[in-house]
Amino acid sequence: MMTGLKSYILLLLSAIFLVVCSTNTKATVHKPKAGDEVSTTLVTGSKDGIFSSRASYTFNVKNATDAPQTGTVSYIAVTPAGVTVAKESRMVNLSKHSNNSFDFTVPEQKPGFYKINFMINVSDYDDTTRRVFGVRPEEIQSQHGRPADFDSFWQTTKNELATVKPQFKMTEKTEQETENRKVYLIEMRSLDNITVRGWLTIPKTTIRNRRFTTLLALPGYQVDLKPMLGEDNDIAIITLNVRGQGNSRDVIHPKRPDYISLNAEDKNKYVLRGAIMDCIRTIDFIYSRPELDPKRIEVSGGSLGGFLAAAVAGLDNRVQLVSSQNPILSDIRNLPNQEDWPMYDLHKYAGEKGIKFDKVLDNLDYFDIKNFAQNIQTPILLGIGLLDHLAPPNNEYAFYNLIPGKYRRIMVFKDLGHEVPTAYIMKDGHMMRDKFALF
Amino acid sequence: MTFNKKLFKYLLAVAILIAFAPRNSYADGFPVRPGRFILSPSVSYFFANKQFDSTSHRRAFDNNGRFHSVSYAFYSEYGISRKFTLSALVPYSMNYFNTDSITHAITTSGLQDIEIGIKYYLANINYKYYFSIKATGIIPTYHNNASLGYGYYGSELKLAFAGSGHLFGKQSYFVAENAVREYFGSESVFQDRYNLTYGLTLDKKFKEQLSISIGGFYATSGNSLINPNPIISANPNTSKNFAFNQVSVSYGHAFSKNLSLFLTGGTFITGRNTGAGTSLSASLNYRLDTR
Repeated sequence: MMTGLKSYILLLLSAIFLVVCSTNTKATVHKPKAGDEVSTTLVTGSKDGIFSSRASYTFNVKNATDAPQTGTVSYIAVTPAGVTVAKESRMVNLSKHSNNSFDFTVPEQKPGFYKINFMINVSDYDDTTRRVFGVRPEEIQSQHGRPADFDSFWQTTKNELATVKPQFKMTEKTEQETENRKVYLIEMRSLDNITVRGWLTIPKTTIRNRRFTTLLALPGYQVDLKPMLGEDNDIAIITLNVRGQGNSRDVIHPKRPDYISLNAEDKNKYVLRGAIMDCIRTIDFIYSRPELDPKRIEVSGGSLGGFLAAAVAGLDNRVQLVSSQNPILSDIRNLPNQEDWPMYDLHKYAGEKGIKFDKVLDNLDYFDIKNFAQNIQTPILLGIGLLDHLAPPNNEYAFYNLIPGKYRRIMVFKDLGHEVPTAYIMKDGHMMRDKFALF
Repeated sequence: MTFNKKLFKYLLAVAILIAFAPRNSYADGFPVRPGRFILSPSVSYFFANKQFDSTSHRRAFDNNGRFHSVSYAFYSEYGISRKFTLSALVPYSMNYFNTDSITHAITTSGLQDIEIGIKYYLANINYKYYFSIKATGIIPTYHNNASLGYGYYGSELKLAFAGSGHLFGKQSYFVAENAVREYFGSESVFQDRYNLTYGLTLDKKFKEQLSISIGGFYATSGNSLINPNPIISANPNTSKNFAFNQVSVSYGHAFSKNLSLFLTGGTFITGRNTGAGTSLSASLNYRLDTR
């Protein structure tokens, strides 16, 4: 008799990363506060908001009031820099308790991403729905090159790291262990002989000499990562607090907003140079441990953690899988809105220090993830949100398009900002299970 | 607007990781974890008091004949690597045929054909749908006992497609397999074997599983004569020119993550030159990880 059975959600596992949100970009249905009187919904003509030439939308308007509604429905599409590329307005006359749909097609645009606002202005209701669409983003290319000595800069940095004795230390924290996991505080010396710390949790096992797949979870901006537990019996998890974050703040401990700009005027002292090396050192740690399988390492992170994961992917081929969610600092010279983080804080830092901003940009070229892209030889999954103003889609694609095609995958979420949904997490989990044969 | 004035929010990115649940023995499709043994002893009871004749009509055996078979089998898989899985099947069968006209039942028993297979994980689609191919060698363990098998060496090539997803709020899965098998000998036998299974997990802890299957054999041989010995002709393992389709229902219960029990009942719905039988089986499925 042949029968099959399958599929088993075994466990929860986690990668914590910092997400910065400041907008209400997710709403798709707009209603007046007074009640269900006039409401709108916007349907995008493609599931991920990406089009081959002309973007299309359907704007649905429902009038549930007892009065007719007259006015306009309209849209305006602009470049990331705010230049209007298309707009259209139509008269609307809705009788009471009625609805209507309006199809809009945006004229053909050049490859890139565009902001588009849909407005309704009728007798008793005004509202705007904000969206972003993309046109052939696979053709997006950064207009800025990378420094000629980019590779040698990082090779020198890695050589410098190699001169630092790691002094790995593991301290079991029995008070934090769970029924199925042991918990360890891990410590190591990294670049500039700075001690960085993190947490390792390992499933308890009866299998002798078992070597676990390791998930290295990298932190978001100024996040204090804690031990990551869960019911998974297959995966060891390291949560790393890079220098200046969490329990690795004994030498570098800036105020939260100052971290991103710390020593930005000197590429050899910039805080992220050391932070990236802290990640590399942690891979050294994984390699040093007999219970961790050096052939099965995934590095994952979001926001700053996504940046760190992308940089590690470009610098260290010992990693077998990378998941980078909403990575910041991509195509830095093309971050259009300098009122936004992180450019605002970098400008502020340069002003306070009396440094020419061009000097800061010159140094940041060594930390721009698009400049790491061409060196990546590890499968990498990138997750982006079209409404993300901290990691804008144009910039993310400038990074993505430079990654060799055989290694890259991307998931685009048209209605999300600086975050990824469960679908991404599931995909990431499935990829890891498959890649490391954890069937 | 500066960063520190914005809303800070931690997003717990929960990686829900999928591993494959214990499966009833013999079903291919999903890959097996390297270093994992799957050990599956089973017992089956097959009973037929009717047969499908050469025109596919169901009729009783002559003289109220009854065919019974009790089979024990041990099936095992071992994940060699991410792509390759080794499998082995050792079946032992006890067959009985009785009629009102004979005083003692005709009986035979013994080891049947041992099967050694190697499965290759071909590909997946979105980590939901899996394709595999399996090559199996068939080795008879007996001589000149047509009631246990053909007595020929043989080989099989099987393609399997399996997947899972949500339906009615429950986790569901399917396995679709087709195998072609050739026994090499003076009266070589060609078989096509197929199986389609659809199942649901019944609880959130994935302890209870229910599946339905439809499967069947089609066998043809250079020797188109039907063996007059009913213990041979009624037995799907020994006939050479026959076909059947059967439906079955299986219930699985997981005692633990690594130990499951499957109870299966099935009946033949159509056939030709074989017993019109009903089967019941129980199999244990034990997973043992070594890496």
